[in-house]
Amino acid sequence: MFAPEPTLVASPALELRPATQFAIDQLTTIYNQARVDYVVPMPMNAARLTEYIQMYDVALEHSLVALVEDQPVGIGMVGIRQGRAWITRLGVLPTQRRHGAGRVIVQAMLATADRLACRTQLEVIKINEPAHQLFLRSGFIEDRDLLVMRRPPGPPTQIPSGETQPLERAEVLDRFQHAHEQAARLPRAHPNRQSWITEPRSLVNADHVSGFAVRLPDGGQGWVIYQEHKLRQMSTMLSHLHLCTEQGEPATVGRALLTQLYQRYPRLDTQAENIAVDDPHLPAFIELGFIESFRRIEMFRPCETRA
Amino acid sequence: MPKILVIEDVPDNAEFARRVLTSRGYEMCHAPDAETGLQMAQDERPDLILLDLGLPDADGQTLAGWLRGLPEIEHTPIVVFTAWPEETAREMVRAYGCDGYIHKPVSVAKLSQQVADFLQAKPA
Repeated sequence: MFAPEPTLVASPALELRPATQFAIDQLTTIYNQARVDYVVPMPMNAARLTEYIQMYDVALEHSLVALVEDQPVGIGMVGIRQGRAWITRLGVLPTQRRHGAGRVIVQAMLATADRLACRTQLEVIKINEPAHQLFLRSGFIEDRDLLVMRRPPGPPTQIPSGETQPLERAEVLDRFQHAHEQAARLPRAHPNRQSWITEPRSLVNADHVSGFAVRLPDGGQGWVIYQEHKLRQMSTMLSHLHLCTEQGEPATVGRALLTQLYQRYPRLDTQAENIAVDDPHLPAFIELGFIESFRRIEMFRPCETRA
Repeated sequence: MPKILVIEDVPDNAEFARRVLTSRGYEMCHAPDAETGLQMAQDERPDLILLDLGLPDADGQTLAGWLRGLPEIEHTPIVVFTAWPEETAREMVRAYGCDGYIHKPVSVAKLSQQVADFLQAKPA
């Protein structure tokens, strides 16, 4: 199952413990220390990690902390959703790398996924070559490139067009779920397929989710769903944007949706994660001022449980 | 004595900046997260802000956007620490209204020189 790695030998003293044996503050510290020198470190505080665990259905009982001589040296988390597992927040302390700890953590998480009869998926940052190679050696197959984009605060440069209709949380989640179920029948790399973090389930688990629909004079129509982040009651940014075109040209409908969105939220920063590189709404994102931060590669590995 | 606000969550990096900056005669104040950084930027009125893009409570870009919205520090240079590829760093800096970036890993010579350059370029 795993290609041999003659130069990497896990320390015999390496011990794995379930993440449930650690307080959230300890997990936060281990995670931050493991990612401190990453190109995209994405540090978290305990509140953010707690939110992350809830939003993405991270199962702490299946997530692991690696220790050497009782000192944490690495971490790996697993999300579980209906026959699928998702590996995330994997990291090893810089001083402990090149000793096979990452491979041992991944192997243990995959064994759990197999035991639970789960297919496993993940996203790896494209320029994180050591992690990418580790996942390839662990039996993962590359599926598609995903974009993580940012848009700084600022009003739209165009005048919004079309009529808008606000959508209540339940209604917009319902639309998103319906679109997601339709996309599930499409090939895995289709741009309408959602990644783990952008699936409707993530937004069902999240606070401050809203949306609206737009209808254009030329008959085009669609809707957008998004999450508004708050820090001490102050709106800070938008994320988890998903645009859906029901009728018309996606670039045109997408432009109308985003123009309306930034008419409403001209002061908010935005992060749009895991937009497929062939998403037909991409021209609208770029036109409205989104810039690429980095890319991820989505990877899958089938369940290896034998009947 | 110019005052520099360093917004950086990694204690070792903050300590490194403190040693370098104070040895060059600058006054340094430090915030370990975005919320504290936002408050200190208003209270301390620094001459220069050094901002790490990876912060535990809000992203550095988000904080840069908030800082640029504060009239009292409208002309304060904001320089980001980042390990991003040059092209991405340049584009982020431009998009978020920052004045430049210092690429990680940061050396004593690079930090000293770039801080001096950014302070010199600051509008009077």
